[in-house]
Amino acid sequence: MSLSRDELARYSRHLSLSDFGLDGQQKLKAAKVLVIGAGGLGSPALLYLAAAGIGTIGIVDFDKVDLSNLQRQVLFASDDVGKPKASTAAKRLQALNPFISIRSHEVELNADNVMTLLNDYDVVLDGCDRFATRYLVNDACVLLRKPLVSAAIHRFEGQAFTCVPGRSPCYRCLFPEQPSGELIPNCATAGVLGVLPGVMGTLQATEAIKLITGMGSLLLGRLLAYDALDMNFTEFEFARRRDCAVCGDHPVITAPQASVESCAATDDAGIAATALHALLQSSLVNDLQLIDVRDPHEYLLDHLPRSINMPLSTLEEQLQQVNRNQRIVFVCRSGMRSNQACQIAMRLGLNNAVNLNGGLQHWNDSVPANQRCML
Amino acid sequence: MSETCCVVRVASPLRSYTHGKAQVTANGATLHDILADLDRQFPGMRFRMIDEQNRIREHIRLAINTAMTGNLQHKVNSGDVIHLLCALSGG
Repeated sequence: MSLSRDELARYSRHLSLSDFGLDGQQKLKAAKVLVIGAGGLGSPALLYLAAAGIGTIGIVDFDKVDLSNLQRQVLFASDDVGKPKASTAAKRLQALNPFISIRSHEVELNADNVMTLLNDYDVVLDGCDRFATRYLVNDACVLLRKPLVSAAIHRFEGQAFTCVPGRSPCYRCLFPEQPSGELIPNCATAGVLGVLPGVMGTLQATEAIKLITGMGSLLLGRLLAYDALDMNFTEFEFARRRDCAVCGDHPVITAPQASVESCAATDDAGIAATALHALLQSSLVNDLQLIDVRDPHEYLLDHLPRSINMPLSTLEEQLQQVNRNQRIVFVCRSGMRSNQACQIAMRLGLNNAVNLNGGLQHWNDSVPANQRCML
Repeated sequence: MSETCCVVRVASPLRSYTHGKAQVTANGATLHDILADLDRQFPGMRFRMIDEQNRIREHIRLAINTAMTGNLQHKVNSGDVIHLLCALSGG
């Protein structure tokens, strides 16, 4: 694949690298890379991949830019708040490099669409923020034999590894199953150092470029763990599991599986925003306790007027004091923490607790703005 | 059986048990003993890593220095660093 004069000038520092050269740059131009999630990890990864001259970049994200994203998601500007992430990211990247093709996929990855989406690309970078998607992407990559560069973050800690199916172990070889709902660490609850995904997403872009150009050695069968507080990287070797459910000797996963993440379970045990809105305007309102399980700083920013704040971290203790005769509705930002709250309540014998499906995000989308404050 | 004092590096999602500490110490001759000592110091911590059937939970990996192991009877030596690794989902 030939490079124009402008491209030769743009990529001149790559071309000067003796191990990279014109051949490496042409490989980048011919490559198609799909990035799952235009968030903390996706932002730096996408910026560097676009700048490096990856010929075709796909972006999967169905979310919109939130003000709280800007602390780490460096693709976006203040004016982008409320805009769709995938198409907004595409515009930003196209402005950075007009010589590449950007495709935005504003869809939620699921078992029905993942194979078709991934099939069009050579390399996949996983920068999503939920376990169910991580396993879905891993399984699809193994089934399609697509290289996967994975990274994940939590508070001050990051992990990264690369999988080339047939050559190295996969994500399920490392962590066969996701934690159960109550044990899932939540980014919004736990917080994350803004610069942390900058390091990990940049590592992902580095791995993708090496994969495409054939340079260096990859993180195959090696988990790279980064501790930002101690400022150290530790490497752990891991091997392919012969009993791995997707890449083992006798795989049981032969097609992508539907999500089993707690969000899905939430819908069964929860109440819809419109139903809660109706309930709060009815005579049944006095039989309800609205408990917001987010952290105090989140509660102060925005909360339902009748709600009280019991952060998830201290919920178990505080639930001892609630009126057991009233129905409890747990509320959080997206529905994940409130689902965990339901599980804690059930363990304590409070069987009349439900959670607000989709949390305040869904509430704000579902209840007209002029009615949200009437409660 | 001689006991060894090991440094234990704690994964971020497990630090709620260690009062936020990233690094603690524990005594024991095997990984099993180390986890038992951790549970004595930080009640409930072992159950976050080991299930009722005494198996390492599927989203947890244990490593002695840089080598992962699934064997709880693995002996530990003085100076070893035990790593408690946990699957992370944030992006």
